[in-house]
Amino acid sequence: MLVNLEKILLGLGALAVIALGVLITSNVIARALFASQVPDSVTMVRELMVAAILLPLAAATAARAHVSVAFVSDRFPPRLRSWLIVAGSAIGMLALAPLIYAGGREFLAVVEKGSFFYGDLNLPKWPGRLLFLLGMIATFLRLAELTWRDSRVILAGGVVSDEQHHAADLMVEKDVL
Amino acid sequence: MDASTIGMIAFAAVLILLALRVPIAFTLASVATVATFFIFAFRTGTFMPERAIKATTSMVFSNSFDLIHSYDLSMIPLFVALGHIAYRADITTKIYHAAKVWLTKLPGGVAMASVMGCGGFSAITGSSIACASTMGKICTPEMLRMGYDPRLATASVAAGGTLGSLIPPSVLFIIYGIFTETSISALFLAGVLPGLLTLAGFVLVIAVWVWRDPAIAPSTDQRYSASERWRAAWESWPAMLLFILIIGGIYGGIFTATEAAAVCVVSATVIGFVQKKLDWAGLWAAVKETCVQTSAIFLIAASAKIFVAFVALTGVAGTIVGFVSEAQLSLVVLMLCIALIYLLLGMFLDPIGIMVLTLPLMIPLVESYDLNLIWFGVVVIKLLEIGLITPPVGLNVFVIANVVGREAPIDKIFAGITRFLSVDVIVLLLIMSFPAISLLIPMAAR
Repeated sequence: MLVNLEKILLGLGALAVIALGVLITSNVIARALFASQVPDSVTMVRELMVAAILLPLAAATAARAHVSVAFVSDRFPPRLRSWLIVAGSAIGMLALAPLIYAGGREFLAVVEKGSFFYGDLNLPKWPGRLLFLLGMIATFLRLAELTWRDSRVILAGGVVSDEQHHAADLMVEKDVL
Repeated sequence: MDASTIGMIAFAAVLILLALRVPIAFTLASVATVATFFIFAFRTGTFMPERAIKATTSMVFSNSFDLIHSYDLSMIPLFVALGHIAYRADITTKIYHAAKVWLTKLPGGVAMASVMGCGGFSAITGSSIACASTMGKICTPEMLRMGYDPRLATASVAAGGTLGSLIPPSVLFIIYGIFTETSISALFLAGVLPGLLTLAGFVLVIAVWVWRDPAIAPSTDQRYSASERWRAAWESWPAMLLFILIIGGIYGGIFTATEAAAVCVVSATVIGFVQKKLDWAGLWAAVKETCVQTSAIFLIAASAKIFVAFVALTGVAGTIVGFVSEAQLSLVVLMLCIALIYLLLGMFLDPIGIMVLTLPLMIPLVESYDLNLIWFGVVVIKLLEIGLITPPVGLNVFVIANVVGREAPIDKIFAGITRFLSVDVIVLLLIMSFPAISLLIPMAAR
């Protein structure tokens, strides 16, 4: 289920990236040809950025795309290294928990107040906050799943690796996810 | 417990967690959050956790959300997407093929073409590691097949890959711009001349190396007619067009760096579809890869932003600036110390990690000496670029080693790298001694 959720969020993130390119280019063309611009384009780009960056975060976590320093721990025995990888996921949960708490509080606050961005369209503020919250919760769940799964592998006598999908490989691999 | 003591403990905790393989983003965010909580909790002298929770979570949320909720930074996913789309549309590799066809007769010509191909690739993608990874798979096996010495075949691409950091668009410049609040367009323009200087230096290294030891690059019997050469040059027009759009558009004031990124993404997609090199599946895969890569970059940047806010609370940066001021270091000594710190860190950490860890402390220091932040940015990126090929953790070297496997062990690649490193050091000294090399184009564009 988590994998399906991540695929949907990644797909929405990808659509947001395409929308970013189209929206900003449309704005440039409108300015050059008609001396006008897409209304509230800056606000829309900022909201789309939240979708483009945070919705795929759980998928990035599942692909173990987060950069870490391996120089020291590469010299450790494989089992100790595996436990360090588990600790990394657990610390990730610790890092995200305050963001989820604060994001939830902020989302409820803008919904209660009915806050909106000043502009031609008076766009509401809640969608960006909701996307932030969704992305963070999905990533937290993935980190919890990784912590659980990796711990079980190690306790069963195996070892885990965090090098399945380096950023450099993402450039050339045909289908990462 | 006072804020500066908490700050010192937090810095030590960051170093320990990083050494223990905890991802950079999680390290910075968790340490900064916990330490900020303690600063707020101890603010009145007695421990008051209730007040601290609200203040800490508000600080953490606003710093991370504001960074992501940014118009200007939409250029990062767009430039990353440009790299993926251009690669899948076969745009990035055409420059290498054109350079190879023109230079193949020269001794070491394919190695020179590889470096130029890396320069062209960098001018579109903005990532050193992606450049080394992609070009390494194309150029290095070809050079090895032609009988090139493995040291030259691997080192030329590993070094050439570093050009991605300096030649715009560069993700490192964008992140530097975020943390120093300097113009990213100006940084891009400032990187052009130092990038081209480095490229020329690398080509010169290959020429001299092959001239002194012709056996390392056997000449090839393959000849191209004049029409084939011109056709190869013509086929690289999409890459040239994208580079002109980025640099010409920014330099001419036609559009901002963010707009240049968007226009180039749309242009590369249209070109790819018209030339039938790109289909919907390829475009979708490229954008998905973009999302995964960009999310990881932004998580580091957002965490670093939280860490920067925490550092400001501690006053540690002010203490360091005061300490350096008291020491009355001359500018030359200061810059040499900074260079040494970055070179040492570059041996062990990745470039983004180094930047987000050091800039909160370096920038107040540099500002206290009234130095130009654009010029300093070029110096820092050049230092980080050198770190990508210095042992024991030269990321580009390991990328190439993964590509070629047993044909060129790490020690051979590092042996070849030393010649390119010497050029890097010379270019670095030139950039440090003559700020005009970096500032000429941005000043002319004003």
